[in-house]
Amino acid sequence: METINLLIELFPYAIFGSIVAGIICSFLGVFVVSQRVVFLGAALTQAAIAGVAFSFLHLLNLEQILANLFGIQSIDDSFLHHFEHTFFSLLFALIAVLIFSQSYRQKFLTTDGLLGIIFVVAIAIRIIFIQKSPIAEVAEIESILKGDILFIGSQEFYTLFVILVIIGLIFSLFSKQLKFVTFDADTASAHGINARFWLLVFYFTVGIGISLTTRFVGDVFTFAFLILPASIAILLAKRILNVFLYSVIIGGLVPPVAIYIAFQLDISSGPTAVVVVFIIFLIVYAIKKLSK
Amino acid sequence: MDKNKTNQIITFSDVSIGYGRKIVLSNLNLSIENNDFIGLVGPNGAGKTTFLRTLLGNIKPLSGTIEKNNLVFGYVPQRDVVQPLLPYTVHDVVMMGRYSLLGLFKTPGKSDEQIVMKSLRRVGIENLKTMNYNSLSGGQRQRVLIARALAVQPDVLILDEPTNGLDTPSHYSVLNLVAELHDESHLAVLIVSHLLSDVANLVKKIILFEAGNFQFGLTEEILSEANLAKTYSANIEVKKLGGEFLITSKHRS
Repeated sequence: METINLLIELFPYAIFGSIVAGIICSFLGVFVVSQRVVFLGAALTQAAIAGVAFSFLHLLNLEQILANLFGIQSIDDSFLHHFEHTFFSLLFALIAVLIFSQSYRQKFLTTDGLLGIIFVVAIAIRIIFIQKSPIAEVAEIESILKGDILFIGSQEFYTLFVILVIIGLIFSLFSKQLKFVTFDADTASAHGINARFWLLVFYFTVGIGISLTTRFVGDVFTFAFLILPASIAILLAKRILNVFLYSVIIGGLVPPVAIYIAFQLDISSGPTAVVVVFIIFLIVYAIKKLSK
Repeated sequence: MDKNKTNQIITFSDVSIGYGRKIVLSNLNLSIENNDFIGLVGPNGAGKTTFLRTLLGNIKPLSGTIEKNNLVFGYVPQRDVVQPLLPYTVHDVVMMGRYSLLGLFKTPGKSDEQIVMKSLRRVGIENLKTMNYNSLSGGQRQRVLIARALAVQPDVLILDEPTNGLDTPSHYSVLNLVAELHDESHLAVLIVSHLLSDVANLVKKIILFEAGNFQFGLTEEILSEANLAKTYSANIEVKKLGGEFLITSKHRS
């Protein structure tokens, strides 16, 4: 109990931020896993990371542009200081989504092939961007790229929370369209729903969620929490609503538990969260297999 | 006014269909009437799917015009296309048929619920409504997809290979259901199938697709041995036994 109190005192935003990041990934993960586009998660995390690396080239001084626009002293404003990394991570992920959306109903490339291309190109350009970044900033870049739950501060927490609300709103308001196009895009389209548009809305929302969680908690945590909680929930649930419920509960509960374990064992919290959720997956899978 | 013309619900005038610059079929001139029962047959790649997608508005015709007067289409896709990992219930799936008719933000109401139940009853699967779609047999899944198409309250029902992969009882049960829907509801029905005997015994008219060309007319006229031999580049025997078509490939004796 003492350790828990200490952790809440030391890392309040990290704990609540990790819960929000876990919920975002595990919610979106239900669609990503059920759509059989798990590799989209890997490709988007790498695209988001390439965007962060790009921001360190300082080719566009967005901070200064925004500071001038709003009359803010950019040096003093930490939001603006981090804005560029977040902006480019989002931009690169959305460009990747746009490229991926071209796979809809075309015969020349498979979805997997296109995702593979985005994945390797994102990694390649990230390496080039880091090589061309100012040497003094390389350590900071590496730390941002790796991501760490414990580095979630108030701004990251509020940004993640706003993203969670936006994702929740989009999926509540347009649940009919998103449900239909992710279930059977061809029939949705035949029945007059613009499947291409709604799939783009869906992938853009996934892109926003993945890019921002990747930016704040790293690619390993994001990718793992996209796949594992949803996979566990699909194994457990017999009703569609329960799939979302179980996935979000696992996604939200595991990160704070992982922070506690990581603190006790003096290890990194992000990888610990991945291992914990993987152990849950193994247990559920084994029970499911044995009970058949 | 010409009586035939008043019955026409879909008219293709000088239509070319295809993808990008690739023309799959050109000079399509045909009319579909309000109680038509039409089979779409032909070898793979002859243009059946392109024709369907163009008719449904998923792809635009490369040239010409298609008049379809705000018709509502109920579409039944190939069953293999719908392989959900998520545990949607039969009711969830059939309710999707109502989604395109609701506004952007509106959720299904009482009348939608009634229509869904009516559609489930119509295809004889009301008792399955709380079951998971994933747990059903092939024939039951096919009925769910037909119920979803009926929930749109369509003017035209389009079925893409509805008997693919079904066992013999389910196969004939689905075909009988389609025939009943046409007879009782006076729905215009378009059915794609590669099983010539099935289509021949079910429908009144045939569109026979062959690479770059098509023929449209009454079943007896279109499904002649000469026509089929030309289209499929194979010796095909067309017999009538007890008033039923039996279409088989000729084997060496």
